Formats: sequence, C-alpha cells, structure tokens
Amino acid sequence: MRGASGDDPDSGEGPRGSDGGDETDGSTNPATETAAVTDGEGERATPDERDDQTTRHDGSGESSLGDDPEPPATETGATDAVDASEIDPAELTVDERSLHPRIRTIWIVRAIGWSLILGAIAVGATWQWLEITLLAPVGFAAALLVLTVTHAILRYRAWQYEFREDAIYLERGVLTRVRTVVPFVRIQHVDTARGPVDRVAGLSTLVVYTAGSRGADVTIPGIEAERADEHQRRLKQLAIAAEDDTAV
Amino acid sequence: MKLHPLSVPYRAARTVGNLFVILIFAFFGIPQFLDGAFAVAVTGLLIIVGLLAILGWQYAYYRRYEYELTDNTLDIDAGVLSRRSREIPYGRIQNVSIERSIVQRALGLAEVRVETAGGSQSEAHLQFVGKAEADRLQNELSDRKRQSREERTAAAGAEVAPGETDTTPADRRELLFEMTSRELLVLGIVSLDSRILPLVFFALTPFLSEIGDLLGGSAGVAVLVLPAIVLAIYLATGILSAAYAVTNYYGFRLWEMDDELRYERGLLQRFSGTIPLPKVQAVTITENVLARRFGYASLAAETAGFSPGQEGGSEAAVPIARRDRVVELAESIEPVDLPAFERPPKRARTRYVARYSIVLGILTAASYGAVAAGWWGGQWWLTLLAAPLVPVAAHLKWRNLGYALTDDHVVTRNGFWSRTTKIVPYHRVQTVVDTQTIFQRRRGLATLHVDVAGSRSLVSDDSKALDVDRDVAAELRETITTRLLEDLAERDERPEDRFQDAPIDPVESEAASGPTRRDTGAGGSQPE
Repeated sequence: MRGASGDDPDSGEGPRGSDGGDETDGSTNPATETAAVTDGEGERATPDERDDQTTRHDGSGESSLGDDPEPPATETGATDAVDASEIDPAELTVDERSLHPRIRTIWIVRAIGWSLILGAIAVGATWQWLEITLLAPVGFAAALLVLTVTHAILRYRAWQYEFREDAIYLERGVLTRVRTVVPFVRIQHVDTARGPVDRVAGLSTLVVYTAGSRGADVTIPGIEAERADEHQRRLKQLAIAAEDDTAV
Repeated sequence: MKLHPLSVPYRAARTVGNLFVILIFAFFGIPQFLDGAFAVAVTGLLIIVGLLAILGWQYAYYRRYEYELTDNTLDIDAGVLSRRSREIPYGRIQNVSIERSIVQRALGLAEVRVETAGGSQSEAHLQFVGKAEADRLQNELSDRKRQSREERTAAAGAEVAPGETDTTPADRRELLFEMTSRELLVLGIVSLDSRILPLVFFALTPFLSEIGDLLGGSAGVAVLVLPAIVLAIYLATGILSAAYAVTNYYGFRLWEMDDELRYERGLLQRFSGTIPLPKVQAVTITENVLARRFGYASLAAETAGFSPGQEGGSEAAVPIARRDRVVELAESIEPVDLPAFERPPKRARTRYVARYSIVLGILTAASYGAVAAGWWGGQWWLTLLAAPLVPVAAHLKWRNLGYALTDDHVVTRNGFWSRTTKIVPYHRVQTVVDTQTIFQRRRGLATLHVDVAGSRSLVSDDSKALDVDRDVAAELRETITTRLLEDLAERDERPEDRFQDAPIDPVESEAASGPTRRDTGAGGSQPE
C-alpha cells in the first residue's frame, strides 16, 4: 500500500494539475453529467436544435448533458481529428493521488450509522426475546463499530488514482486489493454523479464507462466537485486524443 | 415490409397459451359467484370477448409493425399504443439469428433477431416472418454489412476487392464443418449440463426419506449407498444432458461466407445464426473432463452482441469436434499458434491444498454436528475418507491453470472439470485488472483479469490468469496495456485494418450511435 497523502488532497497534484479548471461553465450542477468523449468541441447544438429523435451525434458537443440515459456510441469521425491533434496528453495527466479526506469522514459516519442501527436491532432483539445479558449485543455492536470504522479508514488509505499518458490507473480495496488499468482509447463516456450526501459535502463521483463487462468497476468516489468536472473534461480530451476506430 | 400474416393467429394462440392459467381461473371461478345457465353465459361471453380482444390486439400489432431495409439502416416502426421507430445502422449489427420452433416450422414461420453490441435484448426481434423472408433478411443484412464496410474502406482510399454481389449467397459459402453422427454421439456422452442437476435433485425429493434411512444405517451400508446415489444422479444428469445436447445440435453445420460464419442446428427447433469474423472479441476452447479424455473439444467465438441463446451471449461455433480440428478452426478465426502455457508458481498449489482442507474441515464439522444433534445416525468421520482427494484436487486445479502472451494475443486457461482456454487479441482488450484477495496477499499471488467487450464475461467467465506471482501480474498488466496501444497504433497505419470495423462515417452520423429510437406516446409497451 502506498502511503496515503494524508489530509492534503492536493499533495499529489502535478505541476500542471489545475490548469484545466479555467473553463468552468455553469453546466456542472445536474446530478449526473455525461460528457460524450467522442464529441468534438465543434458545433454546439442549442437545446431546440436537438430534435426529439434519437441521435446524440448531431453535434451536441460539450453540452450533451445527462438527460440522455443511454450510453453514447463510440466514435464520430472527422470532426474530432482537429481536436485530437491539438491535445497533448502529457499536459493532462494527473499524478497519483488519493481521494478528498471528506469522503473518509462520510465513510466513517456511514459506518458508525450502520453499526448503531444494527447494534440497536441486536440490543432490541436480545432484550425482547433472549434471556441473556445485554452485554453480548452491546459487545457485538462495539466490535461492528470498530471493524467498520477501521474498514472505512483503510479503504480511504488504499484508494489511489492516476491519469497516465495513455490510461487511467486505479488502486483500491481493503480485503481484496484491485488495480485497474483503463486505456483512454477504451473510454466510452464519463459521468460525474452527485448524490445528496455528496452535494452536502461538496464532493462528486467520477464514473468511467468502457464497453467491457467490468466497466462499472471504474468509479472514483470522493473528488471535489470542481475537480471532478475538470477531470471529466480532461478525460474527454485524453480520450479524443487517443481516439481509436476499433469500435465494438 | 410486413410480418407474415400467419403471425397474427400464431401470436394470438401463444398469448392465449400464456394466459391459460387466468382462463382456467375464469372458467372455474365465475360459476362460484353466479349460478346456473347465467354463469355459463357470462363465462362464455367473457372468454369470447377476451379472445377477440387478443386477436384484435395482435392484428393491430401486425398492422403497425413495419420494417424496411434502407440504404444505411434497418428501420423498424412498431407499437400499438406506444409507438417506436428504430434505425439500426448495418455497420453496427453483430449477429442475425433465425429460430424456428416445430410449430413455426409447420406453419412456415420464423423468428428473426438482430443483435448489436450493448443492450440487454435483441435490437430487432421480428415475430414472425416467413421462412424464405427470414433467409433473405439474413443474406441481405450480411451483404449490406459488408458493403457498408467496403464503402468506408474505399472512402479511406484503400484498395477494395471487387464485390462478388452477382453470385448467390449459396455459391459463396464454404462448408467448414459438419457434425457427423459419431460426433453427435460423443457430444451426447460428454455433455454434462450442470443446469440439469437441480431438476434431477427435484425428481429425487420424494425418495429423500428412504435415502435418509439407508444412509442412517450402519457405516458399511452408507459407504455402499452413497456412491450408488451419486452414480445414479450422475447418470440421470448425463442422460438428460445428452438428450438436450443431441436435439439442440442435431444436424449442426458451419459455413464460412465472406467474412462471416454461419451455423445451422437443431432437431425439433431449428436455429441458424451468423457470427461476423471482424467483430469477434475472443475465442474460447472448452473441454470438459470427459471430452478431454476422448480428445474432443468445443469452440465458441464471442462477439459483443447479446444472443439470448443458452450460451449466454455467444453462440458455440463448434459444439464438439476432435481437438486438433477445433484448434485449427480457432486458429483460422484468430491467427494464433497455441503456445506453451506458463503455470502459476507452486505455492498456488499449496494454497488450493489449504483451501480444500478447510472445506473438508467444515464438512466434517457439519457432519459431526449432525451426528451429535441426532439428525444423522451415520459416522461423523465418513467425510474424512475424502481427505486423500485434497492434494489430488489441488494438483489437478493447478495443472490446468495457465497463461501465455503471444505476439498478438493473450491466452489464458482455467478449470479442471471444464477447461476453458480463452484467446483474446490485444486490440480487443478493454480494461486490465489485477486483484489480490487477502489470502492471495499472504502468498504474494494475484489474479489478472483481461476484460473484453461482450456479454459472456458477465457470468464471471472472463479471461483471467489465476494466482500468478504478484510481480508477474503487475508486469502482465502493464505489458498487455502497452501491447493494446501498440496494436491499435499499428492498425491505424494500415487502413484496411483500421476500417475493418470502424464506425459509420460522419455523413451518416445521424445513425452512428447504434440503434436509435423515437418514442411517441406513453406507456412501456415495446416492439418485441
């Protein structure tokens, strides 16, 4: 396990780490925002240009927001070529970094919450139906609390992600350590998702989809909202730069 | 174009069949509340109205269902209350399959399914067209798929071989494989379908108490009876599996046509389907323990299309054939020489010994508990008789593991009971994952998963190198990723390859995102 970068989420940031954030636009608030990676920055369709039929490829550009639940298709074509040549993947990489510490707090609070609920049920059930001392269920709850909180802390410590020049690299897992490499060429689309708890904490979850069956595995929780949007943009550009025609 | 007119009464009859339980209830239920002739009249009326409604609905479905082969897409307009029109670009079509049950064959009907990548159901499901029309559709779609690919290649400035469109499909196809009755027999013998096991157990339930009495007797009787029961279960499963496999694969034939494989099979229900070679994601060779014994194997070519067949996403290209023939066919689909496999380190085997010992320990504890609690009158130590099997099982598991990297492919092998060898070309790899459970970490082992696009992998049948050394796994992960990118870059330089299965060009970009939908009206009814 690599040393976690402690409480400073920025410690792993590369020198160019934050220069992608200059184009924050207003479209970052929907709970799920989908950036179809293969759409160029070309023509941007206004909402009324997007007729009710079907396709996401008639230039919905960056504004293809999350109102379309279906995954976008893989590639368009010529319009991307211009963009691809202008992107330098080396400028967009993100050095190895851990999640924002607030997600650890969320996980710990959640662990405590569940332990308390389960503990309360155990205590209640014992009190109601079993003629034994309440020490047992209380001990159970305490053990559960320690285990789940430890798990939450270790889980945070194990989480690590990195945008390399050609792939996303993730490392995570407490009991089972999982290391995933997702080449940018394989990215189908990228979501940022923000549940209610995420929104309160100002965090966001980045979900990267591939055509593979393990695609749902590629979820990075606990990223600051603006950074998640920025990552999303980066991934989009990196995916365009790495464009590939071997569609499924 | 329209569906076959006979599909109206056939679909109606099928709906009635599905509603049979409700009809029975109506028939016997209503007279409880009313009496005499009135009840009969009401029941009869309801049934007649119901039948008319079903017939009317199916007629409306038939009237509304319209499909058409346009220049670039297969268009389907359907839906009675909620209407949907769908356009499927030819370039995105993966498999086209035809299915004909015995009744459908008598009526001259056929069911056609068109699969694209993604989606949990067939993108087009024509119920039902005539037999000739189904064949025409299959051929026509193949032709158009090929044309759309050739057009793209031409657009990229590459040399295009002149299309042979003037010849009939039957002339162009070449028979690759035809199952002999001997092979069918072997298939029947070696096919052991684990899905049939629950059925056999269910059939055994009435005799459970007798079996329990027998086992509860002296240890000597139990030792004799237990293997007999296991043998009986095995034989019953085997016979049912054999019957299933033989009816399913009777008359199996495989052709190569242009760049597709076509197969046909089935005794009562006939199946026919296509496997597009440029879209093959992975090739799997499966040999179960019996097939290995006889030197036979089966071959499956995996595409990303979802086929609702029993293979769960990919159709067996060859259900059974001599191993060398299967390897030869596999090599013709994916140009690969099956290499010598690297085995995981010996400590992996130690791990299996430990694992199986623990399982045996738990079983023994359970049997001890059962004896102590008086549920079972036998001897608790009987399970320990299996102890000598532990090292054997561990060794067999270990022996059948393997992985290898060739110039263009990653090949993995797993399983003793059913040994599967998966061949994945680097350029089809989607993600590379290595996992280490807490037990693997103790021994410095890791499992490497290679994920491809496809539906078969969903059932945890993915390509993996189990229990390799931790450092080797990390190295493999990086090597495979690098080779994937190199391979893609190489293909970029060779237009004929690059456009082999490229997406539709921007001119057709309206249709480029796979099947497209227009939904009008509310409600969840979808064309089937």
